[in-house]
Amino acid sequence: MLRFALRRILMAVPTLLIMAVSVFVLIRLIPGDPASLMLGDLADPASLADLQKRLGLDQSLPVQFFIWFGNVLRGDLGNSITSSQPVLPLVLDRFWISARIVLIAVFIASIIAVPAGVIAAWRQNSTLDLALVGSATVLLSIPTFWLGLLLLLFFGLRLEWLPVVGYVSFRENPTAALLYIIMPVMTLFLHEMGVLIRMARASTLEVLRLDYITHARAKGLSESAVLWRHAFKNAFGPTWTLIGLVLGNLLGGIAVVETVFTIPGLGRLLVDSIFARDYPVIQGCLLFVAFVYVVVNLIVDLLYPVFDPRVTAE
Amino acid sequence: MNKTTVSALGAVLFTAVPAAAQTVTVALNADIRSTNPGVNRDDNTDAVVLHMVEGLVGYRENGTVAPLLAESVQLSSDGKTYTFRLRKGVKFHNGAELSSADVVWSWNRYMDPKTDWRCRSDFDGHSGLKVEKVEAPDAGTVTMTLDHPSALFLDSLARTDCGMTAIIHKSSVKEDGTWDKPIGTGPFKYAEWRRGEYVILTRFDDYQSPSGDKPDGLVGAKRAVVPEVKFLVVPDASTVKAALVSGAVDVAQVLDSDVPELSKAKNVAVGLYPSATKHTFLFQTRDPLLGNVKLRQAIAASLDIPQLVAAVSNGNGKPNNSAVAITSAYYDEAQRQGYVYDPAKAQKLLKDAGYKGEPIKIIANKRVHVPSFNAAVIAQAMMQAVGINAEIEVLEWATQLDRYNKGNYQMMSFSYSARLDPALSYEQFAGPKDKQPRKVWDEAQAQALIEKASTISDEAERQKIFDELHKLQLETTPLIIFANGQEAWAHTKRVEGADPWEGKPRVWGARIVAN
Repeated sequence: MLRFALRRILMAVPTLLIMAVSVFVLIRLIPGDPASLMLGDLADPASLADLQKRLGLDQSLPVQFFIWFGNVLRGDLGNSITSSQPVLPLVLDRFWISARIVLIAVFIASIIAVPAGVIAAWRQNSTLDLALVGSATVLLSIPTFWLGLLLLLFFGLRLEWLPVVGYVSFRENPTAALLYIIMPVMTLFLHEMGVLIRMARASTLEVLRLDYITHARAKGLSESAVLWRHAFKNAFGPTWTLIGLVLGNLLGGIAVVETVFTIPGLGRLLVDSIFARDYPVIQGCLLFVAFVYVVVNLIVDLLYPVFDPRVTAE
Repeated sequence: MNKTTVSALGAVLFTAVPAAAQTVTVALNADIRSTNPGVNRDDNTDAVVLHMVEGLVGYRENGTVAPLLAESVQLSSDGKTYTFRLRKGVKFHNGAELSSADVVWSWNRYMDPKTDWRCRSDFDGHSGLKVEKVEAPDAGTVTMTLDHPSALFLDSLARTDCGMTAIIHKSSVKEDGTWDKPIGTGPFKYAEWRRGEYVILTRFDDYQSPSGDKPDGLVGAKRAVVPEVKFLVVPDASTVKAALVSGAVDVAQVLDSDVPELSKAKNVAVGLYPSATKHTFLFQTRDPLLGNVKLRQAIAASLDIPQLVAAVSNGNGKPNNSAVAITSAYYDEAQRQGYVYDPAKAQKLLKDAGYKGEPIKIIANKRVHVPSFNAAVIAQAMMQAVGINAEIEVLEWATQLDRYNKGNYQMMSFSYSARLDPALSYEQFAGPKDKQPRKVWDEAQAQALIEKASTISDEAERQKIFDELHKLQLETTPLIIFANGQEAWAHTKRVEGADPWEGKPRVWGARIVAN
């Protein structure tokens, strides 16, 4: 197990290296630079050159890369061009805000969607199945920004139950913090529930058609035992993989949801930084997101044997 | 769950959110960049910072300059020395009284390259004008001596992007000289900035307002009434609308397209406010096609500008083909003259220009509060109607700005930030392309006129120059200015007197009338 984990961590190193080079090069291929954006429509060449020099943008790209990369290896992701804040604490602060919302949303989505998908498969072609699959398809098809706005209008404006804008941290006021994240969490879990229901249903259907399930039924086991003790264990693997992918994907940024609900999370930081061409922050965010993706998938892989004993960490 | 239970649950949930009865909440579409006046700034930054700091002079509503921290400004007979007498009894937020030493200290700090003040090059000789010395003959007087007479000196000091050349107390910086927080003389004090979320300012109880009975641009009566102002970052326009209707936000700029719906909301009032922003179509006069003045004139004649302006502003905007803003004291009858929609003339000019249907690409962007894309779409249709093969290329703003700075375009739908003095407004787009590729109007006669308007202070003389410049601009058509900004702002009815100015919220004078 330990060897497997170490091997996976070592495999992540080249991934992160490739990511670092790609991010650095790609962001600089886009026209526009932070100095020009800071000066706006009044950028006379002398002021522009001055500012570019101060920001270190006058040096050649390889030099800029090696300076940045050398600092990254020492754990320093640099400072934001627009706010002068150190990038690593900034990214971590914003990440925890997003992570809290994502973890709660994916957890709720999983505990509702997985049983719902299994039951839909068990009652295939029944009204219940149609209702669940129909709901999942609708939830999956609604863009998150629109779903978010609908929730905002209903719970924020019509019922006046939940605050429409703003954010309060848990450290400051846990009750208020909870209120502020209800709608973002709801938006995400409704959307992801659609994905997970469909996957849980599809994988359960495949398993229910196998001979060992017929054998279990022939032994006279109850439907409940057949479903949860025999079918579910084998059917959960693909859904677990999907949960990992969803988690990795969402932890990488939920910019749209954060924009609608004014949550100062990682996704909004990344989008704002791209518009401002804040290179150190963009690079820091993307490198961190890649790291999170690798870690989440490693954890998913390590937990696989827990759900499916046929899979070993070796 | 019955209705009573649901309502009770709702009430319990809602009361967990802290009430803000004495706070006026203003929505910003993006976070500020810093609290340092004129350094690392954008429009939102200027808007917030100018609630906390003030300069020696500031802009009036009509774009002229008036004393602010100065009581009077006198110009020497040679036109080179300005004498500012400071208002008495003005205090900084830390209780210290304003003196000429603070002005000299602030000026020296701005002129230090380490400060990175945006406007240093406008005063150190790089852009022509040089402030040779700044002295404090006594505690209430400051003199500034220039290398040559300039009609733009006071305007440049008052510019909002220069942070109004604010006079700040030296405790605004840390011991090592780095920026800490603004200790200014403005009507509100810095309280808290939570990055990405909000900035909170509190009322400065010892604030001394300049004379006047009502707010006038950034001068006039400035009364801090509400105890607290919260500038809340709300990036999404739909969320802004919902927040206004729910009362979570009191003041916000809104989309033109949202005006009809918000006007019907019972707790919201909507107003339209002009700004000196210029919405334009730029031509690259070095382009093989558009270098031909007849082709540029044909495009101008193909555009029904009143219809275009009405369409892009939801019927709220007013056409203006002049670089002199409609709100300017220099906007006279000559400035009202503009292009006339004449498709037949456009077709004749196309023929004279030898135009053979070559494509003309209009670059546009989709930023929320500028009409770039919509104007390009309408112009494309109007140009096509007379036989011009117009195409549109949509770019993200930073990319468009890069193309603008390099002069790499044929035609561009572009909005200029506000410049209140007409000479500064012309200077934004007129100049030598060899030295500055971003310049649009490279014409020796125009540059000589702008230079003259920058030097002389006589208003009648300047008016003549601006009228001549406008005529020349219409004839040579290096760009088509089609309108100034006309921005829609909404406020909840619990707040009164929070009228924005030049696209910036202005909370002094605002008061809460209901809760």
